[in-house]
Amino acid sequence: MTAVPKRLSLKFNLRREPKLQPADILPIFQRWIQEHTVEDMLIDVIDYKHVPQGPGIILVADESDTAYDLGDGEIGLQYIRKRALPDTLEAALWLVFHRALAAAQALEAEAPGDLAFDFSRAKISFLDRRHYPNQPATFAAAQAELARILSDIYAAPVAVRRAYEDPRRLFALRAQAPAEFADGRALHQRLLTSRQIA
Amino acid sequence: MTTWKEKLQGDIPEAMGSLIDIYEAQMELRKQGKLDEKVFAEARLRKGVYGQRYDNGQRHDGLKTRALPYPSNDIVKGPDTLWDAPGMQRIKIPYGGMTAEQLEALSELADEYADGILHITTRQDIQLHYVHIDDTPDLMRRLAAVGITTQEACGNSVRNITACTLAGVCHDEVFDVSPYADAMTQFLLGHDDVQDFGRKFKVAFSGCAGHACGLVKMHDLGLLAVTRELDGETVRGFTVFVGGGLGTVPHQAKVLAEFCTEAQLLPLTQAIARVFARLGEKKNRNRARLKFLVAKLGIDEFRRLVEEELATLPPDARHQAYIGELGEFDYQPAKAGLALNGAPLPAGFADWYRSNVYRQVQPGYSAITLHAPLGDFTSQQGFELADIARNYVGDNIRLSVEQNIVLRWVADADLPAIYQELCAIGLGDAGADTIVDITTCPGTDTCKLGIASSRGLTAELRARLLEKIHQLPEAVRELKIKVSGCFNSCGQHHVADIGFFGNSRRSGNHKMPHFQVVLGGQWRENAGSYGLAVGAVPAKSVPAVLEALTERYVAERAPDENFQAWVKALGRKEIKAMLQPFMRLPRFEQQPDMFSDWGDSRVYTIDDIGVGECAGEVVSLFSMEISKAESTHFEALLALDEGNYALADANAYKAMVLAARALVRTKYLDVGDDRDTIVSEFRSRFYDTELIYDRFAKGKFARYLFKRHAEAPPRINEDYAHQIIDETQLFIENVHSAEQRINGVIIG
Repeated sequence: MTAVPKRLSLKFNLRREPKLQPADILPIFQRWIQEHTVEDMLIDVIDYKHVPQGPGIILVADESDTAYDLGDGEIGLQYIRKRALPDTLEAALWLVFHRALAAAQALEAEAPGDLAFDFSRAKISFLDRRHYPNQPATFAAAQAELARILSDIYAAPVAVRRAYEDPRRLFALRAQAPAEFADGRALHQRLLTSRQIA
Repeated sequence: MTTWKEKLQGDIPEAMGSLIDIYEAQMELRKQGKLDEKVFAEARLRKGVYGQRYDNGQRHDGLKTRALPYPSNDIVKGPDTLWDAPGMQRIKIPYGGMTAEQLEALSELADEYADGILHITTRQDIQLHYVHIDDTPDLMRRLAAVGITTQEACGNSVRNITACTLAGVCHDEVFDVSPYADAMTQFLLGHDDVQDFGRKFKVAFSGCAGHACGLVKMHDLGLLAVTRELDGETVRGFTVFVGGGLGTVPHQAKVLAEFCTEAQLLPLTQAIARVFARLGEKKNRNRARLKFLVAKLGIDEFRRLVEEELATLPPDARHQAYIGELGEFDYQPAKAGLALNGAPLPAGFADWYRSNVYRQVQPGYSAITLHAPLGDFTSQQGFELADIARNYVGDNIRLSVEQNIVLRWVADADLPAIYQELCAIGLGDAGADTIVDITTCPGTDTCKLGIASSRGLTAELRARLLEKIHQLPEAVRELKIKVSGCFNSCGQHHVADIGFFGNSRRSGNHKMPHFQVVLGGQWRENAGSYGLAVGAVPAKSVPAVLEALTERYVAERAPDENFQAWVKALGRKEIKAMLQPFMRLPRFEQQPDMFSDWGDSRVYTIDDIGVGECAGEVVSLFSMEISKAESTHFEALLALDEGNYALADANAYKAMVLAARALVRTKYLDVGDDRDTIVSEFRSRFYDTELIYDRFAKGKFARYLFKRHAEAPPRINEDYAHQIIDETQLFIENVHSAEQRINGVIIG
């Protein structure tokens, strides 16, 4: 069970509720397009803040969506890789970690002290029900391999568990790395020096 | 790993699967440059695959127009429409009716192929945005597996047939129009007589004359339920309206027939379609809707032509067969109808009950409206709503033309519980059918034609109105607001008490987003009359304009005077004077925030407006039909590559018949689908007359068809498959050449 899913996403949640409102993210993302603050071929910004627990504000790119996401009642930064995924699951996971971390840190820089993500915890979603149905068997088949890859990414032991029991929902994992990764510096350093990203 | 096509084999009706396969082959041919871009554009539009803003590879980022370097910028999916640019998938939900299983399937697709949002349209469709075209065949297969089609959701075709959401449970309806809407959907889908329109064709059913739900007077074809006493019996039928429509030039529909019986319903519709296909404008898309034909001919002449057509219509068993099946359209409530039992009610319930609950004609049951802000809900809400539906109402889910969801057959005793469950998933807001329940089109968010941000404005107005909803006088609470991003009226601004449509004005060297104010439209009586434009105001001034209008209305209205009457009494001159203070435009340096739109921080520009696809492409019937032959030939090639020689032969033969049919239909529209008839007509019209003859090969290529039609090959091997595929290719080329010689032009 190491197929590359059609789409793969990663979400880092905020550590606490910020003063910044979703509406404030909209001009930030618009400016990111002008300044090409994050990688990928940026197209537009979508405003879904009116939808309860929805995708919030999305920065749409050709290869990805970067969302200030309100799903599950958890505010966070979600990076969804939609296209041009690498040809191994391991490389795909390294890629989404790299891009999600970069976007989240760029967003933190927009509101220092207010926006603070917890990088020691991540939700990883496999947007591909054909290859990754949300079943216990899927988790059983993938758990060891995913834990190995995630532990490699963090260079530390990572615990993984299934995010949702409902079989209709996407197959998703909640990953928990040691607390020292919470502020992102260690993970940033790890990703920066990794051969996988190079 | 299996593909969705393999996985769903056996779950998809053969005819639906075949159409998707043809579309997928057309995609491949387009990518290879072997299918004309206009023909492909119309083919994809007829599958509901629509373009979106910025798909021409350009976007103004607030500073300058920037190129969007999509990976395959050398491939287009239509004129000036890049292959990799995200698009919209429109999904037909006939009369808005869906099951819990279908809702779940749609939610899965929103997760995997779109942005996690399902959008309800003003035609009771679902739209998914930001979809890549490469994903659309699998998306369609997964829909087909639960009985949903996207066929003819866009393009010059019969769009989703709409009907009242309360049909079957309404106190005032003459009878339930749902089974008739269903029958007409089945009858017209893919029908030969609806394939050659110059523009789209919209049909609506209404159960009564007084309410708005059906909106029959603003449709190309509107059907209003009526009964008559004939020979001592009450007979069901319809008053038939034709030639209505909004858009830039709104037209009120005219009565074509005061009473059309059940038995006449489908043949009359077919006759109307044939007259429209034959005489409707094909070149000038701005004059190609049925309303222009009716206006040009006059209703009496149009009626005469329809009657003439009706008299010569080929017999069709389906015309009457549906009547025998009407009784099968039976609702299955999930629970017995029980009255509220007097238990304590949850907080907020009373408000919600007042605005969102409709007591059904069936005792003990209610229909409830779930307010979806801006017509949006998430895939997760979709899953949870499916659970709620299964628990309380079964498959009695409908989408409304006001972009909401309606659950019917809720036992009254369950109302407090279902309200609490809806609140828990964010769909329990009160205010349905009130001033906060604003209808809006996609506008500049995703539409290529959008001039101003209708969704941005709607979100802003909604947020402001929600804050003071409890302080608003009843007369204001009842008002309808509808917003369109441009003059094309997708947000139906003409039939609102207060409508807005996007435009722009210049101040100094800058453009400023504006909305034209349209007042006094009538939603009731099936969109009984249209409002009048009274002046354009800056987008950022609209909330203040709304406040000024409603405050004056409350202050000056006579008791029981409705908004329409008040507007009429006040007069356009006085209203214009009231708006005048809002029309003074500041310079950019004075108020820069006025030069950006709602929900968009960029400095406003109209540089992103593109060419819309609402009108479809003007492509000849022959071009559309021959493209099906070409894609079926391509499927034969794929089967050959996979070593499936029997399938290669079957597809090659089918492609030859489709090519022959394409040519025959240029002379004989009613040839039908029977292969013997098609080949016979082809022979007599084109072979015996030598019209198909090639200059050198004479009738050789046509004989490939005759030979294969006369007998199946005794043995199918690789060599044979190769040969018949080559012969098919030659025959298709031969048909192309003949059509050019005979008719002179391929693409209109």
